[in-house]
Amino acid sequence: MKYAFFQGCNIPIRIQQYATSTTAVLQHFGITLEVVPEFNCCGYPARNVDEKAYLLPSVRNLAIAEKKGLDILVICNCCFASLQKTKNVMAKDSGLLAEMNSILAKEDLKYSGTAEVKHYLTVLHEQVGAETIKKKLVKMFTDLKVSVIHGCHILRPREITTFDNSFMPRITEELLLPTGARSLDWRGSLECCGAALAGINNDLSHKLLKEKISGAQDAGADFITPICSYCHLQFDTMQLNMQKDNPEAKLLPVLLFPQLLGLCLGLDEAALGIEQNSTISSDNIERIKSLLGPPKEEKKKKKATAAA
Amino acid sequence: MMNFDILLGLSLVICLVGLIIRLSIWFSQGTRSPAPGTSAAARISAALQGALGTIFSGRIVRMIKSLFVDLLGQERIFNKNFLRWVAHTLIFFGFVPLLLMHAMSPQTNPLNPFLFLRNLFGLMVLAGVAIAVYRRLTLKAQRLRSAPSDWAALVFIGVIILSGMLLEGAKMSSYSKYQSMVEEYGSSDEEEAKALEAFWVQENGLVSPNVQLPPAPELVQKGMEVNGTSCIDCHASNRTAFAGFAMAKVTWPISALLGDAAAVTMFQYLHILACLAFLAWLPFSKMFHIIAAPLSLIVKRVSGDTITEPANILTSRMIGLSACTHCGTCSLECSSNMFYESFGNDFILPSEKVQYLKKIMAGKETDPAVLKKMQEGLYVCTSCDRCTTVCPSGINLKELFVSARYMLLKQGMPEKSLLSHFSFPLALAQNFADDHLQALKKVTDQFKKSFQHLTDIPVPVTIGSGKGFSNTSFRGCYSCQRCTNICPVVRSFDNPVEALGMLPHQIMFSLGIGNVDLAMGSQMIWSCSTCYLCQEHCPNQVELCDIFYTLKNGALNKIEAGANA
Repeated sequence: MKYAFFQGCNIPIRIQQYATSTTAVLQHFGITLEVVPEFNCCGYPARNVDEKAYLLPSVRNLAIAEKKGLDILVICNCCFASLQKTKNVMAKDSGLLAEMNSILAKEDLKYSGTAEVKHYLTVLHEQVGAETIKKKLVKMFTDLKVSVIHGCHILRPREITTFDNSFMPRITEELLLPTGARSLDWRGSLECCGAALAGINNDLSHKLLKEKISGAQDAGADFITPICSYCHLQFDTMQLNMQKDNPEAKLLPVLLFPQLLGLCLGLDEAALGIEQNSTISSDNIERIKSLLGPPKEEKKKKKATAAA
Repeated sequence: MMNFDILLGLSLVICLVGLIIRLSIWFSQGTRSPAPGTSAAARISAALQGALGTIFSGRIVRMIKSLFVDLLGQERIFNKNFLRWVAHTLIFFGFVPLLLMHAMSPQTNPLNPFLFLRNLFGLMVLAGVAIAVYRRLTLKAQRLRSAPSDWAALVFIGVIILSGMLLEGAKMSSYSKYQSMVEEYGSSDEEEAKALEAFWVQENGLVSPNVQLPPAPELVQKGMEVNGTSCIDCHASNRTAFAGFAMAKVTWPISALLGDAAAVTMFQYLHILACLAFLAWLPFSKMFHIIAAPLSLIVKRVSGDTITEPANILTSRMIGLSACTHCGTCSLECSSNMFYESFGNDFILPSEKVQYLKKIMAGKETDPAVLKKMQEGLYVCTSCDRCTTVCPSGINLKELFVSARYMLLKQGMPEKSLLSHFSFPLALAQNFADDHLQALKKVTDQFKKSFQHLTDIPVPVTIGSGKGFSNTSFRGCYSCQRCTNICPVVRSFDNPVEALGMLPHQIMFSLGIGNVDLAMGSQMIWSCSTCYLCQEHCPNQVELCDIFYTLKNGALNKIEAGANA
């Protein structure tokens, strides 16, 4: 199975480890990701300014995937939502579709809506499945508490994203379960990281971020696991920026989901790029590794063979 | 050739003056200075120190590597596009040997391998130019912009080579040229002369009024012997000059029309004038990249885009600007390409920004309307840094653009795109943080001025039509206030009404009474974190977050219209 890998603008230059770790994990399950240099911005940054300018870039991206005969796999929530929103609008507004297709025609591209958009968690959850993941595990966490922050634009609006139950999502928890890591129930899990306000209203943006950091820490999290690349940058970069003003603040380190899963799958650590997370210290990494033990599956197998 | 010496001298002087001007720009102009008031002398000395510091240190290894990998190998082009690499390599490795072995020597050597090589190198350059022309034509739809100067460079190079080939062809067919050669080197025997002429007609492309076509084989055979004793030691066969030989067929009708000597002179003038004009034009055009691009590439390889000396940051930016060949690679790869299609602003394309930046740095352009477009172009950027990653000349474009962005914003024109997620990477990077806040304040001030507020509205409130507002889901609002109660932004303030102007449910209400303007003027829409909790929790499917986006679009358009009025 192959997907056109949509990395967006932030990941290739600021969060390469998210791309390499996701690629490594999916590769492990026989899913290849084709990097498509022709892809452009998803359009999200322009949404405040002009709705049409927001939609056009994703129409082009979808048309490129269509031409390649591939579905799109996305990491970033905001890219995901932009692509899904575009598909939704294009299905309803044929006038706008014609207008945008006339722009694409110059480059010999055409949108007809055949390319699907999948979040990598959906692919792991539906196509691979928790059971298969469980079978492939070579290690398992004995005691690791993470706070997952889903990010808004993967969950809502639910009619557009169609990712998971937007009030009680379960995909992340079900994917974390086999790894032995505990996904904490905490109040920020479904809320905003403040990224959308950064650079527009920094005070408010910081306030929302701080609320999430302390929320996760109060819940007892060892690590925060952001799904969206914007959330990641808020926790992994903005948190450090804020710490310059408040050096006493306790740092909440970031561990990405494919990094966490990759460790349990015994993947090459260089590809997982954990040390590239700016908030993670070498002590943190040692600690994570020390929490890895043998997978539970083995015991069951032994019992099974003994019974046989 | 008196004229030639004068013309050569003149073009050399122009070239030299041009070079001095271009080099002085490196040290005198700059974007916003990280080292205010650095004099040109200080910058030259800092640059020299940097260069010497590199040469006399371990970093010399990187410099030498750059020489082979970046300059001769053109690795950056190779990695991006093989065909383009072929074009550049053909032009470079065709032109440089021609310059050294042909242009720099006073006599055109008629012996091999020179005769053959001149033609080979010439053909290489022409093939490279042809690929470049093909590339510019076929990539037009992918937003590769070609300026007249881009075509001029290709035409110049093409004309230089083609005119050289035509000149060679005209000389080959020229009877008067042949006669003067025979007079100088040949035998006086009439029989032999006749045979030699027949041989040259047959074999060397000569057009003679005395030889009937086809010449008799015995005569040609005899002529070959004469040629062997009298000519071959000093003049190789014209057929080895394959391009010129082929051109003789093209030039012959012109020679017939003008007379062969006149045709030779004409092509000679064309060739020499093209070369000299190119030389004079070079420093004033993108061909200056011959000097600037290697430097830019070496600086990039040695410094890895992390220059610490403030004076050198300025200088390296200026070297970068002058190293741009307007090849358009950045624009082809630009992630904002579709915003260019939507907003119709050329300056969204990085290659066009660079051209205009050169003017701004030189203090040439002050038209506020153009500057405003430039400002938008600099701002509608996703900060994906692809332009910098792919630039074949190794220009640190992102740094140039960011510094230029704040240089323009400082001039006081509000930029509406500041109120977008384009600001996110800038907030992360924290460069020019204070400048960003000041610029932001200008837009928000304008925003406040442009809209009426709840307190300004006379009582009793009139109910408007609210027509033309695309998203009508607000009609489903029955003021249960669930949106406001779930909003993480509202929750963040002790006195949310004071901080936000209106709360989400109030905005829906103002739309309900047809007052779109009031809704657009609320601070709430710019404080919305776009988390969609309100919309998700609304019991009656009011699309609050989407409506906020529509209001934001409308508000910015109104601000823009007001600013232009």
